Amino acid sequence: MLTVCHLYPDLLNLYGDRGNIIAFVRRCQWRGIPVEVREVGIGQPVDFGAVDFVFLGGGSDREQTLMAEDLARRKEELRAAIEGGLVVLAICGGYQLLGKYYRTLQGETIPGLGLLDFYTQAGEKRLIGDIAIEVELAGRTVRLAGFENHAGQTFLGDVRPFGRVLAGYGNNGRDGTEGARYKNVFCSYLHGPLLPKNAAFTDYLIACALARRGQESFLRPLDDTFEERACAVILRRLRVAR
Amino acid sequence: MRLGLCAAILAGKVAASLARVCGWRGSSLPGVVALRLCPGVLPKLVSQVRTGVIIVTGTNGKTTTSNMIARMLAAAGFRVINNREGANLITGVTAAFVRAASLSGRIACDYAVLEVDEASFPRVVPQTNPEVVVVTNFFRDQLDRYGELDTTISFIRRTLAERPHVSLVLNADDPLVTQLARCARDVIFYGVAPRSTVVPRGSTSREARFCPFCGHPLEYTHYHYSQLGAYQCTGCGFARPRPHVEAAATAVAGQVMRSRVRWEDKVISVVLPTQGVYNLYNALAAFTAGMVLGIDPATAAASLSSYTPATGRLEGFLYHGKPVYLNLVKNPAGFNESLNLVLAGRGSRDVFIAINDNDADGHDISWLWDVDFEVLAGVKDILSFVCSGKRGEEMAVRLKYAGVPLRKITAVRNLRAAIDRTLNGRGEAAYFLATYTALWPVEKLLRRRVSRTALQDPHSSRVSSTVDRR
Repeated sequence: MLTVCHLYPDLLNLYGDRGNIIAFVRRCQWRGIPVEVREVGIGQPVDFGAVDFVFLGGGSDREQTLMAEDLARRKEELRAAIEGGLVVLAICGGYQLLGKYYRTLQGETIPGLGLLDFYTQAGEKRLIGDIAIEVELAGRTVRLAGFENHAGQTFLGDVRPFGRVLAGYGNNGRDGTEGARYKNVFCSYLHGPLLPKNAAFTDYLIACALARRGQESFLRPLDDTFEERACAVILRRLRVAR
Repeated sequence: MRLGLCAAILAGKVAASLARVCGWRGSSLPGVVALRLCPGVLPKLVSQVRTGVIIVTGTNGKTTTSNMIARMLAAAGFRVINNREGANLITGVTAAFVRAASLSGRIACDYAVLEVDEASFPRVVPQTNPEVVVVTNFFRDQLDRYGELDTTISFIRRTLAERPHVSLVLNADDPLVTQLARCARDVIFYGVAPRSTVVPRGSTSREARFCPFCGHPLEYTHYHYSQLGAYQCTGCGFARPRPHVEAAATAVAGQVMRSRVRWEDKVISVVLPTQGVYNLYNALAAFTAGMVLGIDPATAAASLSSYTPATGRLEGFLYHGKPVYLNLVKNPAGFNESLNLVLAGRGSRDVFIAINDNDADGHDISWLWDVDFEVLAGVKDILSFVCSGKRGEEMAVRLKYAGVPLRKITAVRNLRAAIDRTLNGRGEAAYFLATYTALWPVEKLLRRRVSRTALQDPHSSRVSSTVDRR
């Protein structure tokens, strides 16, 4: 049994983020892996040690502030679970929140959870458009496609990027990095949403979650024709299809 | 200066003929050309409107509501200018005036009824000086072009705050809309009475879970659809205002909706030749605007009862005796309502969905994941789903993850092939859903294949007849 923890679905429901939850759950179900989703709102209890996959999305500014206050109270518990291999996917605003701080255009500094070593600086221009990146999953190089839309520009410190930008902006439009990665924590600006049309990455997350519980992590292959075609549309459009 | 205006109009009209020849309906090209030659063309033409300008904005229902108001005014004997094909940026609004102007730059009309894109609203309002502004609803739409919904609403709020003399017609059931009431002195609310919903259902894509003023959760005693319903804030006094115009006792008979509409101390029965609770809202908004403009209620109701939908607003056709429907989809709330129409149909059906991600559709299609396609998963009567358009493959993925059996889903890139596959499906009816830029190509291809006779619904009276507007 895998338990998916959807953090603040009431607040962070921008950009079809729930598609990530749907994709994770379906791909477990299609293989007969029992899975349940626990939606956790502000102030509701959650035991990060007992869940297998945490999803943290992005919201509008007001909603982001509410969730940041709540998550700050759970920080140490979350840190311990992450050190223990908890699988986390954080997208956009959720990604930024895991870093050290977010600095607004006015120079105001909003502290983050500081779980990963990076910071975000608001830019003059929003970085918007289709994006393709290359990531390494269990020694295999995989191309992922998505859509990015963020004003914040993220700069990494002592942490690995999630992937390398093939086309699009990525973390800041300058250094060619996209997202961040630490143990089983994956941060990214790709929504669209990310998991449904990048099935190899979804399966990798499922395998990581199973392995953490000491369960068999070999996943039976599925028919991913539609997923691959949907991803290829964007890769071809960006002229980075293999 | 006068010469500049005339040249702009002439050039705009030439562009309009060109657009017509090329079959680009609803084109804003005449506006683009005229604005280029004479940047002040719009206020010059608008100032000649004899009685007043009415603007309709909001996420969904702009085209239908503004067309209903324009028809109502025409039925009352007024001459009306209206951007009826939905070109609703400043260029499209300008195009409507250029089309109506004489070559000497004269406009002879009583009213202009304009649907205006939410993001263009702050720019169009100062140039058109509206007397009445109707706001239909706010849903998430095309995020990459607008930024977030909050930003859009705050721009509209600021624009209205600078013009407190405007009469505001607001949807009382949408908390995101009613927050605008503090901007004007003269506010008229319309709404649907709680517990009189046509299609009761829950929805996952609710926008307003929190009070726009104090941030506390909103509590609902009733939902109509999405965030529309009877709400009150748990923190401050913000709540659904009592509507001046309210629909109650709504009943659906086949393709016709009947409702009792109350305003002041009067009640009138309104019959709508169309479906969907969202169309009830559109009609209420139009009726309310009509009352604000002093139109006779019986004239207003009669005009609504003979309303013909514009392109892709649930148009009906016949293909070898098979009913075929075409509907525009552009955001989660509207798409959910379209799915309700598909589900409400009788007999076996084939469904076509075309998703484009061009400028006018919005480049970001992740909103498809906020649509409740899960309601389609177990519906046996839906025989097939044909996905097309530039992002048809993504649509196929969405349906697959919604639980629709794989064997029912195909992704066909070529629109023509996809349309033929759907029309020739085994279903007794076919539903075509398309995003904005896919809509007209789909309609054009459909028209070549279907008969032009008005569609008779098997179990009741008329739907839209298919008038050729070219």
